[in-house]
Amino acid sequence: MRRTDYVIKRIFFAVMTVFVAITINFLLFRALPGSAVTNFARAPHASPELRATLTHEFGLDQPLWKQYALYLNQLVFHGNMGISFADNQPVTSELAGKLKNTIGMVFVGTFLAIVIGVVTGFLAAWRRGGAVDHASTSSAIVFYALPTQFIGMMLILLFASVLPTAGMRNQVNAFFSGGSTWSNLKDIGLHMILPAVTLALTLFGEYTLVVRSAMLETLGEDYVLTARAKGLPQRRIVVSHALRNAMLPIATLVALSLGFIVAGAILVEIVFSWPGIGQAVYEAVATRDYPMLQGAFLILTLSVVFFNFIADLLYFKLDPRITE
Amino acid sequence: MKTVEPAVVEGTALEARPSRGGHPIVRVFRERPSAVLGLSLVLFFVLVAIFGPALAPYSWTQPSGAVFAPPSAQHLLGTDGSGVDVLSEMMYGGRTSLIVGFAAALVAMIVGGGIGLLAGYSGGATDVGLMRVTDYFLVIPDLVLMIVIATVFGPSLSHVILVIGLLLWTTTARIVRAQVKSIRERVYVRRARSLGASHRRIVFQHILPQVAPLLIATTVLTIAYAIFDESALAFLGVGVPGVSWGTMLEHAFERTAMTEGAWWAFVPPGLAIGLVVIGCYLMGQAIEDALNPRLRVAHLSIRTWRIRKAPAATTHLDPEPDREEAV
Amino acid sequence: MRARVSWLALCAAVAVVAAGCTSGGSQGSGSGGHLTIGTTSNIDTLNPFVTFQQNSYAAFEYIYPQLVQYNDQMSDFLPDFAQSWKTSSDGLTWTFDTAPNATWSDGQPLTAEDAAFTFNTILKYGDGPAGNLIGGLANVTKVEATGPNTLVVTYSVPAANVLPQLQGLSILPEHVWSQYATGDGKALRQFPNVPEDGQPLVSGGPFELASYTKDEVAIFRKNPTFYGTKPSIDGFGLQYFSSDDAMVSALRSGQIQAAINLPPTAMNTLKGDGSLTVYDGPGLQFRDFIINSSPNKTQNLELLDPKVRMAMEYAIDRDAIVQTAWLGYAKPGSTILPPAAGVWHDPNIQPLPYDIDKANAILDAAGYKRGPDGIRIANGHPMDYTVLFAKDESGAGDTAFQIIQNGFQQIGIKITQRKEDNDAVNTAILGDNNTYNTFDLAMWDWYPCCPVPDFILSVVLCSQYGSWSDTGFCDQRYDKMYDQQGVTRNQAARVALVYSMQKLLYDARPYIVLSNDDQLNAWSTGWDGFVESSLGLFNNLSKASLTQVHPA
Repeated sequence: MRRTDYVIKRIFFAVMTVFVAITINFLLFRALPGSAVTNFARAPHASPELRATLTHEFGLDQPLWKQYALYLNQLVFHGNMGISFADNQPVTSELAGKLKNTIGMVFVGTFLAIVIGVVTGFLAAWRRGGAVDHASTSSAIVFYALPTQFIGMMLILLFASVLPTAGMRNQVNAFFSGGSTWSNLKDIGLHMILPAVTLALTLFGEYTLVVRSAMLETLGEDYVLTARAKGLPQRRIVVSHALRNAMLPIATLVALSLGFIVAGAILVEIVFSWPGIGQAVYEAVATRDYPMLQGAFLILTLSVVFFNFIADLLYFKLDPRITE
Repeated sequence: MKTVEPAVVEGTALEARPSRGGHPIVRVFRERPSAVLGLSLVLFFVLVAIFGPALAPYSWTQPSGAVFAPPSAQHLLGTDGSGVDVLSEMMYGGRTSLIVGFAAALVAMIVGGGIGLLAGYSGGATDVGLMRVTDYFLVIPDLVLMIVIATVFGPSLSHVILVIGLLLWTTTARIVRAQVKSIRERVYVRRARSLGASHRRIVFQHILPQVAPLLIATTVLTIAYAIFDESALAFLGVGVPGVSWGTMLEHAFERTAMTEGAWWAFVPPGLAIGLVVIGCYLMGQAIEDALNPRLRVAHLSIRTWRIRKAPAATTHLDPEPDREEAV
Repeated sequence: MRARVSWLALCAAVAVVAAGCTSGGSQGSGSGGHLTIGTTSNIDTLNPFVTFQQNSYAAFEYIYPQLVQYNDQMSDFLPDFAQSWKTSSDGLTWTFDTAPNATWSDGQPLTAEDAAFTFNTILKYGDGPAGNLIGGLANVTKVEATGPNTLVVTYSVPAANVLPQLQGLSILPEHVWSQYATGDGKALRQFPNVPEDGQPLVSGGPFELASYTKDEVAIFRKNPTFYGTKPSIDGFGLQYFSSDDAMVSALRSGQIQAAINLPPTAMNTLKGDGSLTVYDGPGLQFRDFIINSSPNKTQNLELLDPKVRMAMEYAIDRDAIVQTAWLGYAKPGSTILPPAAGVWHDPNIQPLPYDIDKANAILDAAGYKRGPDGIRIANGHPMDYTVLFAKDESGAGDTAFQIIQNGFQQIGIKITQRKEDNDAVNTAILGDNNTYNTFDLAMWDWYPCCPVPDFILSVVLCSQYGSWSDTGFCDQRYDKMYDQQGVTRNQAARVALVYSMQKLLYDARPYIVLSNDDQLNAWSTGWDGFVESSLGLFNNLSKASLTQVHPA
């Protein structure tokens, strides 16, 4: 009973948050000085009537509340995020493609971060107070502290001659030389290495420290002490109890940060020219492409809400005594 | 039961803390070398920010050498993509970055602290309402919102400070609220209330002093976030006007420093940001640890995962069970 | 520790493998092959009714027929789809003989009917969906295909710029587009015009658009049915990079074989790279310092004083800007038609030299006394202004601003930079109801599409208030000269008029042209045959470059 209550409450909260986000989204972009029309009317061979046409076409001559109502209606009932001002095509399909590109890179980067974090955190906790511990926690803190774009720029500096440092793939070669699925995947994989590693280096610090703390705490638990008193080998204690118990908090942390990672991937995408949703945001701001911006912002917010919701469920699993 | 070596459990719930005299914050620095290291790092850059520009060898806006000249006797850190001396830029830019960091953290502290205090103390509808607002702010992707807002308000120092501060207050608010709530229920506060003390008196005499160290710890960590965010905003082209460490990174990127091999144009600002963040982190974490080893709140993550109740045999400041809800 | 070591080993292994895989492009023995061209300027859309980007127009040059194209010197016109043409004696009727037996890439006949359809559609919807293109058909009253290979275009005035205007219009396949040219024509702007289902876009130029991934790459493949000189290569790709560094890095590592619009900071390294050929030639783009010239200005009216403007120009060190901001890869600016505009550039206009003393003397004589802090006083207030700075100008422009600021400071004028997005700057410039009443100074640039004067001269017309004008300049004499040159078919006479216009503009100084960017391109030494121009090796002016390029 309690669990259902909790879940329903969290769902309701998530929906409300999305609604608030949509509204803020809408208002903010409308508040930007200048409009898409002034930008696009500056074109070769443009007529004075073009501005009027564009204004009407984009619905910018309607009262604000009406624009909002239209937007809401289209979004909720048709999944239509509007038409991009830049190329007059539906935002949804464009962003879907971009989001795919981001997700791939973010997934690999996060996975790497988790691996590095778990390994270093585990080692730090296991050899607590020793050189390994200091090395692990120090590197965790150092990489966490360095700005993401700086890490990316350093990697470009170091690896520009051995790894691709821009874009997601070399389609031209694949097109003319005939590319198999495998060679295409390999191409994308190569291009993904540096961006994913940058992301991983930015993120792993958090995980290292959390894993370490979680394991240390578990190592201090009564039943672990009991197990030790019983004379079980230390390695077995650590692996079977401590690590397993640390996984849930880690999973929660990962779920939480995933929402923010997608947004944070903007920096990585700009540094490496990765054609994802972060880059779409960056370009859309420059061109005042409202629908594109709204769509990207909404997708990013939705992802954060979604992962927070997962995290809340995990919290509940972890400790059902949570009250709201 | 076998006695537990302190080494195994140091830093965990079971660590015993000898009580000593002195203000909690001062004690932190006395007991922990990491906090001293952190303070030194931050202090070093603060001093550079204050005195640096007077000592800077060249102008940080006018070119004084060839473009991307490597470090030499004339230019200790070389020149950047516009021929401007990097060392001078670092000194002056540090001032801007630190001002943004400290000021934004201050905004976050005041707003977050205020809201957290209000919510924690008032309880009821005010609490729920304020926390809802906080929740909504929490889930909005920071960077995207910052880009948009910075564009709306225009690129000025005060605007950037406000933007960053107004997105970082949420963590502080939650932490302060939790702390205020638990303090409010303490015996002596209840007693003060029943004796008819005014709210104002209770807040200022009883609650605020208790909250202050935690607030300071959180604010120190917020400084780290703020400096980080400043560099991100600058990289996206919506940072402060003029020179800052963040704009130095952006400049180097735009002027193709990497393919030119001009590492001196971006390594100094990147490392500087890193060192200041490390410094803030060490300090903040040390204070946090000392105050309440189980209340690992900010701890690099915006939410805490720690809700498991620790065994009773401990001495610490908070007699309440650690019912840290999902912050 | 174990996990970490194997992770490092994995990295190293991958790096070794990757090192062998970074080169791209293929080279045959004189023909065939494919290459990738890198750019930092995006194609926003391939719909001619929607696009605003330079590279979109360049793409159209290669996939669509145009009636004419520029010659290599950019001084005259060569046949493209129109093999010959003649004008009636009154200059009102132009007859074009188009290539016979031509087909589109899908086999459908390509005839003068397609040209007539395209132009008539633009005319019909010029007030709305075709507003983007109608300027190319200014003064056209009638377009008709009198036979499969004959196109007749009728004008209301003896227009002098027919060929350049028509050169800019791509001919679209009627059998693809006619379904959209109905009703209110909105569908014209909604059609994505991209390859679909693995099928190339129906094309009529030397290449067909075989594949397109937005914000990534556009792939062009040789079109065997092209009516003109077929390309040597099998095809090429245009790859978009969101930063200069990424593009230069890709060029140096061999990921791409050519790059356009290179940043000046990379030039020395690229020149030293033996595997690359570097081109540094005159360009059309120029950077300007804008002084609000609108009669509607409400404050700081001293900026309308020609003496103040002249003093300002004396205080701008163009050589320093060229050397420091552009690293020598630009020329000092003079008029809005730079040398790359060929015969249209007025060589008699000599920009004022950098002379602080002269500037101070002028301002002193004009009565602008210095205040206690060294800033001059005008009309009771200090000469302290904000310069609206368009984001586009970041980088070199920041350095240029500092140089200008420094110079102005020495003559007692204080300026502050206000950097904003292009759109915000445009809004600020327009003022209230497009009266240009508020701003004082700005810094921006122009990148004319073509080496002909019509467009760039038009941006200071009175009629461009609220549209192209970013100066608020309005002078009826200038407008009259503009109209006149538009119908002066005698080249010499027209040139004289254009020179007069440049002189008028130069003396009035709504713009102080700071510098004129060089066109910087580079390509791998494995390739030869690119035809360079003031707009680079991939441009919308002629089909020669990518048709003639071949493996070296």
